[in-house]
Amino acid sequence: MATNAAATTHASNDILVVDDIVKSFNTADGSLTAVDHVSLSVKQGEFMAVIGPSGCGKSTLFNVIGGLVDGYEGNVTVGGERVNGPHPSIGMVFQEESTFPWRTVTDNVAFPLEIAGMDKAQRYERARHFIALVGLDGFENRYPAELSGGMRQRVAIARTLASEPKILLMDEPFGALDEQTRLLLGDKVLQIQHQLKQTCLLITHNITEAVQLADRVLVMTYRPGKVKRIVDINLPRPRSSEIVSSEAFGRYVAQIWSDLREEASRGMRDEEQQRAGAHS
Amino acid sequence: MAETGNLSVPAARRSNGPGLWSNPVTWLRIAIIVGILAIWEATAASGLLYRDVVPSLLAIGRALAKLLSNPEYYWHLSVTAGEVGTGLVIGGLLGLTVGIAFGASKLLGKSFEPYLYYLGPTPKIIFFPIMIMWFGVGPGSKVAMGAISCFFPIALSAAAGMRQIDEVLIRVGRSFRASTSQMVMKIYLPAMRLPVVNGVRLGLGVAIIGTLLAETKLSNRGIGYLIIQAYSLFDMPSMYAMLIVLFIIAIGANALVGRIGRFDAIKQK
Ligand SMILES: Nc1ncnc2c1ncn2[C@@H]1O[C@H](COP(=O)(O)OP(=O)(O)OP(=O)(O)O)[C@@H](O)[C@H]1O
Ligand SMILES: [Mg+2]
Repeated sequence: MATNAAATTHASNDILVVDDIVKSFNTADGSLTAVDHVSLSVKQGEFMAVIGPSGCGKSTLFNVIGGLVDGYEGNVTVGGERVNGPHPSIGMVFQEESTFPWRTVTDNVAFPLEIAGMDKAQRYERARHFIALVGLDGFENRYPAELSGGMRQRVAIARTLASEPKILLMDEPFGALDEQTRLLLGDKVLQIQHQLKQTCLLITHNITEAVQLADRVLVMTYRPGKVKRIVDINLPRPRSSEIVSSEAFGRYVAQIWSDLREEASRGMRDEEQQRAGAHS
Repeated sequence: MAETGNLSVPAARRSNGPGLWSNPVTWLRIAIIVGILAIWEATAASGLLYRDVVPSLLAIGRALAKLLSNPEYYWHLSVTAGEVGTGLVIGGLLGLTVGIAFGASKLLGKSFEPYLYYLGPTPKIIFFPIMIMWFGVGPGSKVAMGAISCFFPIALSAAAGMRQIDEVLIRVGRSFRASTSQMVMKIYLPAMRLPVVNGVRLGLGVAIIGTLLAETKLSNRGIGYLIIQAYSLFDMPSMYAMLIVLFIIAIGANALVGRIGRFDAIKQK
């Protein structure tokens, strides 16, 4: 079995192994390769960030790892076990607004426990714990419409944490938020990650966020999305958002930006050409 | 506290406009009713129309009192209510199931939904002879008429509601490995509640029409039967009295279903 051999060549403390993923879509003008031979591995307790320009295939990779799409080449393994559909060890936080508008904060956070068949008293107690963890105590009985965007995103994170995944997979969870909120929520995520020793894979297009949070940053190319470089972030932990003003932080940001700028401008040119093509 | 106050749920409901009695709309509505009653009474008194076609309000009032104090009338009313209710439950459940299936499967939706669209607005009374053959002349065929009538609006609104579900919510459910029945009960149904409530509202209306129409055609019980009997005896005051009660019941039922919808709208905003 070639696939098993590939998986076992990785170090045994790699909890998540993404091996040579290729995913294409059939579109009106032919096949489009969104993810092109991407491999990565995440160690137990590690925080990894994947960064890339808009449209480079990050969400596609996210959905592949989460087991929500099929029809791709390559393998995703969790603790040596092949991912085939949503895996119980993986918890996903989505890029889009994803709280259930008809459920209160408590009922949103308790959702995965309800799915697992836990009884009401027990799951409410657990939900309250995770609500407090993301700093939303006092809002248990509110509906999402009564919360700010940042609070709703925290509800979504708490909901995923409540399922106690071994790997927390997040797709631009703060994408729609302003910079201050984003930094402060980043602190919250760092705290939680430290407390729970949570393995995280964060997808983002924000360099500050990637460097602030991650142990390693994987830079993707513009379409088709390939691995361009993996940067180790040797900043001390525990970290806080104050770190963004340090010199070392600036160096990492500059290094990643020089990689990313190439890709982002290639993406922009590409899109301009497409638009020009569409108009002529 | 003051600033969270105007976000809170009861405040949202209160801010719908001026109070009921200080609102000019209320007075205009009352004026319209009073005006119509006045014209009615004037026409009745003028004797221009043949005998009882437009009976006096007093005669209608007397008929109404007689009707409401007659236990037999309540028996007929309960027969019709039972038929409409059973029809709504059967047609509603079928409509919901079919609508969810059509909304969930592109293939099913594309192939079958055009039939729903074209059959939807046709008068269902054309099915009545068939229903009599299948379910007999008793309440069975009336229930069937109610069910057929409400099936269409409920199925169409469920299919449309299914398609407007935010796709990411479905991915959330799948990522937590919800079973198909959990997806339906905990995501699809609550997410499409508003369009479905609207569909049930339309369905209730046409179920009442379908059942009553069937009762007027062929039956020996129910409100439709009583109305057509009053008509054939040319007992116009009782006929109008029964129509008034029917109006009030229909308005009440509609308001009840509508209230469920509005309650949800406020909760989800
Ligand atoms: N279901 C699909 N069918 C066809 N093309 C798709 C589909 N999903 C994604 N794509 C295409 O694949 C490419 C990558 O999309 P993806 O959503 O993964 O990008 P992304 O990196 O997450 O972008 P963003 O940062 O804007 O979220 C895009 O060109 C997109 O148009
Ligand atoms: Mg994306």
